[in-house]
This record gives sequence, structure tokens and C-alpha cells, in this order.
Amino acid sequence: MNIIENFELYAPRLIDKEEYFCSGHRACQGCGEALAIRLMCKALGPDTVVANGTGCMEVISSFYPTTAWNLPWIHLAFENAAAVGSGVEAGLKALRRKGKIPDRDVKAVAIAGDGGTMDIGMQSLSGAMERGHDLLYVCFDNEAYMNTGIQRSSGTPFGAATTTSPAGRASFGQKTWKKNVPEIMVAHNVPYVATASPSYPLDFMNKVKKARKVKGPSYIHCLSVCPTGWRSASNLTIKMGRLAVETGVFPLYEVEDGKYRITVEVDELRPVEDYLKHQGRFRHLTPDVIEMIQERVYQEYNKLLDKVNGLHAWSDLKFEGELFE
Amino acid sequence: MSKKVLMRGSQAIGEAAVRAGCRFYAGYPITPQNELTEYMAEAMDGLNDGTFIQAESELAAINMVIGASMAGARAMTSSSSPGISLKQEGISFLAAQELPAVIVNTMRGGPGLGNIAPSQSDYFQATRGGGHGDYRTIVLAPASGQELADLTRTAFEYADKYRSPVLILGDGMMGQMMEPIVFPEPIDVRTFSPKSWILDGAKGRPSRIILSLLLNPPEQEDLNWRLARKYEIITREIPMSESYMTSDANMIVIAYGTAARIAKGAVKRVRELGLKVGLLRPITLWPFPNRPLKELSRHVREFLVFEMNMGQMIDDVKLALEGRGNVHFYGRPGGIISTPDEIAKTINSIYHRQHLEED
Repeated sequence: MNIIENFELYAPRLIDKEEYFCSGHRACQGCGEALAIRLMCKALGPDTVVANGTGCMEVISSFYPTTAWNLPWIHLAFENAAAVGSGVEAGLKALRRKGKIPDRDVKAVAIAGDGGTMDIGMQSLSGAMERGHDLLYVCFDNEAYMNTGIQRSSGTPFGAATTTSPAGRASFGQKTWKKNVPEIMVAHNVPYVATASPSYPLDFMNKVKKARKVKGPSYIHCLSVCPTGWRSASNLTIKMGRLAVETGVFPLYEVEDGKYRITVEVDELRPVEDYLKHQGRFRHLTPDVIEMIQERVYQEYNKLLDKVNGLHAWSDLKFEGELFE
Repeated sequence: MSKKVLMRGSQAIGEAAVRAGCRFYAGYPITPQNELTEYMAEAMDGLNDGTFIQAESELAAINMVIGASMAGARAMTSSSSPGISLKQEGISFLAAQELPAVIVNTMRGGPGLGNIAPSQSDYFQATRGGGHGDYRTIVLAPASGQELADLTRTAFEYADKYRSPVLILGDGMMGQMMEPIVFPEPIDVRTFSPKSWILDGAKGRPSRIILSLLLNPPEQEDLNWRLARKYEIITREIPMSESYMTSDANMIVIAYGTAARIAKGAVKRVRELGLKVGLLRPITLWPFPNRPLKELSRHVREFLVFEMNMGQMIDDVKLALEGRGNVHFYGRPGGIISTPDEIAKTINSIYHRQHLEED
């Protein structure tokens, strides 16, 4: 299956002028996540049902009796975005089959943050992917539990200081490496997995459009810059997102039916320090820890390149022998 | 005697736990109790024998506490209402396996995700077991910063003494408010007497087994009987309450935690008007302090239950009174904090409606 239409033609003037995630919400200044949601909604269009696991986005956008959502939207507990999304999809399917609702392509979309996806929601996410629901899951990863006051998550990068991985004499902050959830999703053999960033809006929206077209589960991992939690200047949000890509900390790629493709090519990776130095959460890092992070980034980036180059050839191979000779 | 320190309620629980010899804490972010998790992250880092784990979910946190408790450590976890719901399976296991543990619930408005404002919405869940199965949990309800600290130590003592989970039931107000606190001297964990039942490697001795699956009904019945006997002892030994101006009262307000502090203000106000009103504040919610209520019911006819919910403790009050006296109720749910004036008005209207001034 090739789901790529000519998405490269997607130009700014073709972007929907309708706002589905409206202004007036309570996000912090420079919130990368609110921007990403706005772009996502534009790419999805109105025939969408959004299941939103609790977190910043639910709190800032749905303070009763106001709402920023111009789409059908349901809010649920922390760990259940994928499960409720599955239910929405299955329910719509059943009603369509019985002829109770018009036969339209209404996409079920589940969204949650890094805590709700990578920690407590992993189980329901894995279940939804395994069952093969026609569901798009978008993880807005701001690399900690920002809504509750910046506690570490398994998405928090190595060395970052948070309130539950404090930096000081006894510790340099987060001591584990970021969990690679896109890879876990690829391991579920789903048709479409991608990483994205609102700093590359057309790339991000293309990916959402593709994922919307996919019949079956798809997963997009979006790095959402959080000036409040990252202790970065709020006017640097877009730049921080770009630096994450340019340093190779967060490469933008997609995996279609197991085939890897880098969507935003970087000719030469910038030193990781360019990215770290703008963020207060990394301020305490000593050169040797930065060196460790640099090593790891190169390692992971090379692994990704191997998959892009290697798996491409590999996945075209057809098995022609006989089993159990 | 250590000196007075100004501290937030949640942090006071953390400091008191460390001083009570708690060396294992597992938590998960949820408002309004993150200050406790954050405090434990720093405090455990500073101890060379302490462990702090931020779990991947509430369920994982409570099960880590089960593990730590089995290994013999004084272990604690904390959360707020929706998170405590997720922990119920683990609390049921703690009860079945007779493992000591301290669980802190900083209650907020519910049901569902509710809000993050102080509430007393989880009284039923806390005192009626909460999880599945035939069990009880000791529930302590502090009403001040000092009491948070004191009852945290008590909680660890009860947990070890009765080999049972103990719940500290606070609310967003208790957790966030800053008050001066005097902490007790820290206990040296090396002075704890060794526990005879822990799982710590079986070299040179027969292995021990802790389980909660008893497929054979008579075995399960034995466990239930053993637990029931234990609960009977607890019910006899630990009920705690505070009586305030009850000796000459002809009307009694019953409230716990934050609600009790508001009610105390209201009682002071109506006393100035000459109304003979007293306050009974349960400190243990399970076991419920039945006896003082029963004694009061000999000469008091009117009882007003004030809760920050739509009426949960009122059931226990009625059970304790066994039909004697009139039980009135005033409640504000959803995270609304009443003012003492509001309660005073309610007291006033009941007082005059029932013609108590003529007594």
C-alpha cells in the first residue's frame, strides 16, 4: 500500500482558514503544544472526533463554560486516550454498518502528552495499535509532566532537571535516556509512524494528512517546546524546535509500512550544545555530561540512518524460498 | 525538642515520614499533592539509605510499595482522589497480605477527574475499604499542619503494629496551607526490631511465602476470620477524636479535617451569641469514634454533620447514634470551602427551629 499522494504540493495557501482550535485558550506564552494542536486540527478537518487524555491541553482549552475546541471533543482520564479513541472508532463503525449515521469518513483521533502516552498510557496505546483500530494517535511530547508542575516522565531527556529529578550535589537531574516510543510503535507493525514538530508546520501537517488517510492505526510523535518547563525564552519556541532537529536530538522521519524516510534532511548536525544552552533545565550540565549526550545523539542518529538506508532495501525483498524444506 | 518550622502541609507529611523511618517512597504526579512527591525526591536523594521512585502510573507506585513493604522497609505512597482510585487494587492486596504501608490521599473534588480544589469526596472510598474484598483500612484525618506531622508518625506505627495499610486522609487545603510545625526527633531505622515475616533471601532458613490467592475456601475463610479479629482489636484500641466545648452543649457539630477547622470557627461565633454548641472532631475515620458520640447522645438531641461533600460521614454518625437524636446535614461539594459564618448561620437556624434556647 502506498498512501503517499502528492502531499508535497501542500502549500501555505492551501491550508484551511477555518480554526478548529481557537484562540483565547489559557496556554502559556510561547506554548509549542497549543500551536501544534491548532495545526493538527487544520490538517484533520471537521470530520474528526478527538479523544483527549488529561494534561495541559485539556486544562487550558476546556475551562467550563468556555472551550477552544471547534471539533467533537471528549476529555478523559490520564491513561485512556487510546482506549477511548478505540471505543469511538468502533462505535462509529457499528453505527455506520447499521445505517444509523451517514457513511462518512469520520476519523477517530486520540491525543495525549508524554506522561499520558509514554508512562501511564502505554498499555492502552499498545492495545489499540495491536487491535488495528482506524485510529490516529498523536503524542504531544513536552518532555515532562508540565501540567502538574514539571515532574519527570520517561520522555524527559537525560540530564534535564525537573522537580522529581532535581539537579544538585547528589544528582545531575534525569538519569535515564528518553524512551523511544516511535520505535515501539514501529514494532507494532502499524501502517504509519512519524515524528513531527510544529517548527516545521507543513511537514507536520503533511504527516497528519497522511495518517488521516491511513486505514488502520497510525502514530505521530510531536515534540512540543514548553518554555515554562524547559526554562527557555518564550520567543524562542520555533527556534528550539528547529534546533532539536538540526542537532539531531529529535530527527524528523516517517515510517510507512516499515520503510523509514527522513523528511527533514540535515546536511551536517550542529553540536548538541547549541540546543541545550538555551534551556534552563540543562543549565547545570558539566562538559562531560554534555559529551555523553552528544555521543548518544550521534549513536541514535546513525541507528536511524542505518534503518533509512538498510531497511529500505531489506523491505523490498520478497521471500521466495520454501519454508520447512 | 526540635524548633518550629513553617511548612506546607504536603511537605510536612514528607518530613514526618522521613523522621518516622520511611525509606521508600513511590509516587506519580497529580495535583494538589505534588509538593509531597517533590519533597520526597529531594529528601530521599539526601539520605544514603532512602529510595525515591517516580513510577509510570499510580498502579505501579502502590505495587512498588507492596514490594518494598514485603522486603521490610517502611514504605509510603501518595496521590489525590482519581489516583487513589487507581491504587485500590494494591490497597486490597496490602490488606490481604497483611503488609504495612502508608497511603496519603489529598482529596479533591469529584467524581471523574473533578477539579483540584479541596474536598472530602472520598470518605466512603476510604472508610468502606475502597478496593474489592472483605477488608478495612485504618483512616486518619488530620486537621492541622502539626497534626499532619504527628499522625504521619502514628500512621507508620499503626501500619507496623497491625500489619495493615493506613490511609492519611487530607485534602487540597491541608496539603497546600503553610503552618508552623514542630517535628518529633527522627527515629534511627537501625533501632527497629527485625520483622519476622519479610522476604529477604532464604539462605540458611526455610523460605517464607506471602500470598493473597487462597483457592481453597476454608483457607480464605481463615484469613477473613483472622482479619476480622484484627479489625476488632483495632476498633477497640485506636478510635481518636477531639471534643470542643461539648460538656454543656445541647447541640453538637460533627466534622473532620478542614471542615472541622471551619466548624470550630463557627462554634466560637455562636458561643459568643450564647448558643450552647460544641464540636466533635473524629481523628480516626475508621475505626469511627462511636463512644464519644454515644455518650453525648445521652443529653444532646440535635446533631449537625458538616462535610465538604453531599453527605458521607453522616451514615457513620447515624450508626453511632443508633437512632437517638436528630441528625442534620450541611455540605458543600465540588471543592467549595464554606466560611465559618455560613456554618454559624446553619447552626443558628437549627438551634432556633428546634427551640433549644428554651432548654
